[in-house]
Amino acid sequence: MRPALILIPLLALPLVLNDFWLTQVATRSLILGIMALSLSFLATYLGVVSFAQATMAGIAGYTIAYFGPNSVGIGVQLPFWISIPLALMLAVVSGGLIGLIARRSRGIYAIMITLAIGVAFFYFTRQNYTLFNGWTGFSGVRAPEIGGLSLRDPLALYLLSLGTAVLALALVSGFVRSPLGLTIQAVRDAPGRVLALGISVTTPIVAAFAFSGLLAGAGGILNVWYQERISSFSVGLGPIIDILIVAVIGGLRHPAGAFVGAVVFVLLDTFAVDLIDRERFNTLIGVVLLLIVIVAPGGLQQLASDWVARLRRPEVKEKSTV
Amino acid sequence: MPVNHSHTNANALEVRGIGKRFGGFWAVQDIDLTVRPGERRAILGPNGAGKTSLFNVLTGDTSATTGQITLFGDSVTREPINKRIQRGLRRTYQHAHLFNGLTVRDTLFLAVAGVRGGWRQVLPLRAGDDRLAEAERLAEVAGVADVLDRETSELSHGQRRQLEIGIALAEKPKILLLDEPAAGLSPAERPKLSALLMSLPKDVTVVLIEHDMDIALQTSESVSVLYNGRMLAEGSPDDIMRNEDVHRVYIGGAHGH
Repeated sequence: MRPALILIPLLALPLVLNDFWLTQVATRSLILGIMALSLSFLATYLGVVSFAQATMAGIAGYTIAYFGPNSVGIGVQLPFWISIPLALMLAVVSGGLIGLIARRSRGIYAIMITLAIGVAFFYFTRQNYTLFNGWTGFSGVRAPEIGGLSLRDPLALYLLSLGTAVLALALVSGFVRSPLGLTIQAVRDAPGRVLALGISVTTPIVAAFAFSGLLAGAGGILNVWYQERISSFSVGLGPIIDILIVAVIGGLRHPAGAFVGAVVFVLLDTFAVDLIDRERFNTLIGVVLLLIVIVAPGGLQQLASDWVARLRRPEVKEKSTV
Repeated sequence: MPVNHSHTNANALEVRGIGKRFGGFWAVQDIDLTVRPGERRAILGPNGAGKTSLFNVLTGDTSATTGQITLFGDSVTREPINKRIQRGLRRTYQHAHLFNGLTVRDTLFLAVAGVRGGWRQVLPLRAGDDRLAEAERLAEVAGVADVLDRETSELSHGQRRQLEIGIALAEKPKILLLDEPAAGLSPAERPKLSALLMSLPKDVTVVLIEHDMDIALQTSESVSVLYNGRMLAEGSPDDIMRNEDVHRVYIGGAHGH
């Protein structure tokens, strides 16, 4: 697919959307998509499903809250050009550490270990007051002004999120073509054979997790600016599962799927109130997830590209069933 | 002749008292084996004789329970497989575990990058990287140049075997362990493989596990026969053909006399 065909409408979106749609749907989808991309990157290229992505995002978000303007009077104010790289760096380091811990685990065991890390971090943030301000966390976190432009402005935050999403996708597609990215995919296919080529298996696994930490961290920073607060609830089981649901809905076979999944998730989340009871959102998203897993195991992105392929080559219409 | 190993007079491979136990079962036991530099050695033996288990111990895919392994005079018994690869040891696998999501080009590139090692492995790739040229040369040698950009999952069985050999040839191996490279090949593909084996540089030491007696005896100067995990006989192809024990357990059995 030609990127310009998608990018130009997305750039023009603020012209047609009101602030509610732009902020509550478009920006939120992009941010959630970036966080889900960090998971679908790991799942697609390393073959590991991680439940610790909300932790990596949270570490970046908490860093921004702690070192930026907030209304709870905790932390130290640093200029954004220090706090942003610091937040990203801590997310990368935490990703690398989680990779180091989970490096020998695959399948269900990798899920268990990363879930344990995610849940442990959740409880840690609830009980630690000096850094995380317990379960209330930080509120009144304000996005910085860069060159006179406030990132609190809906249009500015939307464009920044869009730019970050595009950059994240470009980084992923460049990274997987690099020698290290190829090694990561080789580890996914046959880890023992990678060692037999003379290549250490630990480095690619740790690097993959660290890179996913960078993506998650970028999403986490945007998220804390978007929400203007962060607390233990931002890193708890809820967000952990949301990220997984978004990645699965979008499909784990192509990185862009994360954003498709995010749009569907956010639309359902925003308008579930109008369709059914607010309390029934989990039922609704559960049914959607079930349908996707049964009807399109490759996710919506895969479903869409199958349709496109079929429209282009009508002669193979009978071959595959939906 | 590119002799860059430290002990020029040492044997390419020296194995003393190697044994590998799985639970209560000795897959191989008391194996002594000496292979000179540049030698072509075949290892024969019926199914379950311990040939592949011996290879696994030699390369470090599994650790030896007993015994010592020396490569060109250096003890490697405790070394992990990636270090032995960087010493010039290579092997092919009987059941090809290839990277199904990668192309032939990327697979060969990783093989070259793995042997060279170092920090370049984690640096971004630049145009004109000599490792890419080396990968293309390997594809040419192994006869998979026409499928360079195909994913390995799409290759035929024969092409996968050829790719296996291409991987093993990365960066001038000093000693090649080939585990039944001809297994499952069609009659049309076999001569190609024989030719490839015959065309290997003379200074490369080759140890070959082969069921096909023709290929084994045609390409080797000496033969070791394994039976029930132990060394049954060693000698020239002629000696082995005349050996009573070998006839009884292997040649007789294999040909159904």
